[in-house]
Amino acid sequence: MSSDPGGIPPILDVRDVHKVYRTGTHALRGVSMRVRPGTVHGLIGANGAGKSTLIKILSGAQTVSDGEIAWRGSVTEWTSPSQALADGLAAVYQHMPLVPSLSVLDNVFLGHTGSLRWDRARRTRELAELCDRVGYPLDGDDLVGDLSIGARQMVAILQALARGPALVLLDEPTAALSPSEREILFASVRRLRDTGTTFIYVSHFLDEVLDLTDHLTVLRDGLVVLDAPTASTDEAALITAIVGSRLAAFEAEAPVAARSLGEVVLAVEDLASGTAFGPLSFDVRAGEVVGVAGLLGSGRTELLQALYGADRAATGSVTVNGRGRPRGPQQAVRRGMALVPEDRARQGFLADWEIWRNISLPDLPRLSWRRMFPHAAREREQARQAVDDLGIKTQTIDSKVGDLSGGNAQKVVFAKWLYGNASIFLLDEPTAGVDVGAKSDILHLIRRLAARGAAVLIVTSEFEELIGSCDRILVLRRGALVADLASAETDVHEVTAIASGFGSHGDHPLGRKAAVS
Amino acid sequence: MTNPAAKAPAWRKALAPRAAGVVYAFIALLAVLTITSSAQGRPSYLSSVNLSNILEQSALIGILAIFMTVVLISGNFDLSVASTAALAGTVALKLIDGNGTFVAVLAAIACGALVGLVNALLVQKVGVNAFIVTLGTLTAVRGVVQAILDGKSITAHNTALLDFSTGRWELPVAVALVIGVALIALAVVLAVRSGAVREKLVAAWPLWLAGLLVLAIAGFRPNLLDQAVPVWIMIGLALVASLVLRFTVIGRNLYAVGGNAEAARLSGINVDRYKMGAFVLNGVLAAVVGVLYAGRFNSVDPTVLTGGELTVIAAAVLGGTSLFGGSGVVVKSVIGTLILFTLSNGFNVLNIGSNYQNVVQGTVLVAAASLYTATSQRDRALFRKRVARKAPAEPAPVLTKTGA
Ligand SMILES: Nc1ncnc2c1ncn2[C@@H]1O[C@H](COP(=O)(O)OP(=O)(O)OP(=O)(O)O)[C@@H](O)[C@H]1O
Ligand SMILES: [Mg+2]
Repeated sequence: MSSDPGGIPPILDVRDVHKVYRTGTHALRGVSMRVRPGTVHGLIGANGAGKSTLIKILSGAQTVSDGEIAWRGSVTEWTSPSQALADGLAAVYQHMPLVPSLSVLDNVFLGHTGSLRWDRARRTRELAELCDRVGYPLDGDDLVGDLSIGARQMVAILQALARGPALVLLDEPTAALSPSEREILFASVRRLRDTGTTFIYVSHFLDEVLDLTDHLTVLRDGLVVLDAPTASTDEAALITAIVGSRLAAFEAEAPVAARSLGEVVLAVEDLASGTAFGPLSFDVRAGEVVGVAGLLGSGRTELLQALYGADRAATGSVTVNGRGRPRGPQQAVRRGMALVPEDRARQGFLADWEIWRNISLPDLPRLSWRRMFPHAAREREQARQAVDDLGIKTQTIDSKVGDLSGGNAQKVVFAKWLYGNASIFLLDEPTAGVDVGAKSDILHLIRRLAARGAAVLIVTSEFEELIGSCDRILVLRRGALVADLASAETDVHEVTAIASGFGSHGDHPLGRKAAVS
Repeated sequence: MTNPAAKAPAWRKALAPRAAGVVYAFIALLAVLTITSSAQGRPSYLSSVNLSNILEQSALIGILAIFMTVVLISGNFDLSVASTAALAGTVALKLIDGNGTFVAVLAAIACGALVGLVNALLVQKVGVNAFIVTLGTLTAVRGVVQAILDGKSITAHNTALLDFSTGRWELPVAVALVIGVALIALAVVLAVRSGAVREKLVAAWPLWLAGLLVLAIAGFRPNLLDQAVPVWIMIGLALVASLVLRFTVIGRNLYAVGGNAEAARLSGINVDRYKMGAFVLNGVLAAVVGVLYAGRFNSVDPTVLTGGELTVIAAAVLGGTSLFGGSGVVVKSVIGTLILFTLSNGFNVLNIGSNYQNVVQGTVLVAAASLYTATSQRDRALFRKRVARKAPAEPAPVLTKTGA
């Protein structure tokens, strides 16, 4: 299947690899792939196709069930990432294993065994050089736990690059990055490739993949369905390869029909939180989908947290369904709010719990007899419904969410709120790490929610997605609301320009109350 | 994508060492002791008298282990229970002669609730680590006991507590038979209702095994139905706590809070309320245990129950409770307690030097913890361990989450 022009020996040769997890999931079913040195090799596929599994096998974090992997011509016997690292292969995992209580410096050089002595001055210098080379400034003394999710991702990437590896495995590195951080990453990937470093790159962003990679392998259900030079494919071909029979679901949506909006259900006035953002004022009506566009650090995540009552330091007034600002998430939920958080593993689900118990968690009293005795049959019924509605890929609803692929776990977090009586949805990067097919499913779902009369507030770095799915877009910059645009009258360039501070709206934050479109 | 043959069925999970290890261990221990003692020509180890002895010795620590498990499930830790119990016992005996039983017991329980509340506030509202807070209350409360007693032991004249905690209560054989049959019937009904009868029947083994046990006792050892009051209290509390944890929203939320507090909070659960509630409950029950303990001899001295908290935690760990929150089963913690006391009872009965007793108990504890860890889901444990060498994402659990 693999085309191999030029006869350059591959640096990495994956031969008929199988992986069966202990749960019985056959995640890889005979994958073969040849990676030539000095290239960026894209690895794409739907949620649960087996991309992360392959990455973990290549990096030595998981073992193959069958088949073999040749590194520089000889079959490997790595049983741990440290051995792979020693041979020049570094990985950035989808779920970044950083130590939040350590500083950036400590994290980047964690596990270096160059010398016994921890030479702080030298490490600081090396970090500065590394940041310079990559073009991303980081303060070595910051605690990783305090960084934004995007900056944490960059730390993980620097950690991999710090070893000067010959091959770098990147598993969805951009899912959590802002556009500018993405640019920085791409530039340094290209630079390093030109000096001979090889990359394997996993992503759900097809434009990125087409732009950056030299060769593409598409996985579907643990099989290679396409293996070709990037130049010979295009977006349509890739989508067909990725989603296969699900293609029907992936059709361009007709433009949002003019809907009648209900009354204001979320009124925000002079909401502020420390240095994070504010004071902000805006309204959201029932049936309205409002996007919040902003770069990382613009205060968007903090805004959602404050609306949800999860930020005790926030000041200002919020009216939710006619009642005051929730004093905590519990009140917010009672008043009909729902939050899909950004950092799903830490805030969204219980990894050790089954799908069905995770989905019923916010809604348990309703599914219980006398609101006190959970009714497992009803919970499971609801979970089955969610698996169908969202196309969650799993063997059973008894699978632990920690064992699901990243995108499927995200769908579970979303599903938690779909069947209760939430009427105001706060969605923080709801499609992060979700494949093309599922992304359109989720956007459909959001529109269905709005049609049912829900108010939706979406935060994402995907400005294109925002414009496609929202009625109105609020642009945040450095904590200030700088524009309120009707999405029909704007485009990605304008939003990007305003969000990054070059737009016509320049430095004139809107007045107290942004006009409601 | 799927390979049905490789999927472990529910019953296999239910019988795996990770889920049922503590039961196997207990049975094995009883078997070894029985065989050894009969080989040495001693009276049967499983005599009603000896079994009642073990139960009676375990009862108070068993009660503490139940609620320690609740605190551990909520993701916290409580070292102060033994000191709290000592304080409650002291207060009760101090007050009982002057103010009557009711006031004495009430005051004792209020003390327990107070210590629990202090722990709860410092841990949840101020945010100090639970280990440190309760290490502090462990010491300080013991200090209060010493100050009250001033180095002397006290004895009460009013014997109400004595009568209560050394009293015995006998379950009528007929009632036991009914309970046994009901338990077995429940297991069958649950299995039939779920469709997959044979599989569910095996998975529900705790139910029918308990039923058979009750029937066997009623039929062959009716003497065992006559137990000390604290034993019945332990059994009752274990039952209630299990049912609440297993079948109510409160129980489910408690596991959620301990498993991932942030996810639980954002799902609309009042995390503080659950975590603080666990502390206060633990304080109250520690006070109850203290009163029962003081009642046993109707006297207390300043060192009463010293070090008891470690036995309690050991029992919970033996029962497979995770020290990182989110998992644990109270009945298993009670069985853990029984194992610890069977061990020491066995040493006495077999007349082996008590010098080795602690060595064996410590070894059993570590062996159990290792077993739980080693038999956990290998895939992920291995992955974690390997990633951890590079950068641990979370503290590698010493004990495995056994699931709710
Ligand atoms: N530790 C695990 N134990 C059991 N099954 C697992 C485990 N990790 C992944 N799986 C299963 O293996 C399959 C492939 O998962 P994988 O994480 O490789 O998907 P992916 O292609 O990376 O998807 P995504 O785009 O959502 O990240 C999925 O069905 C998933 O449920
Ligand atoms: Mg993945």
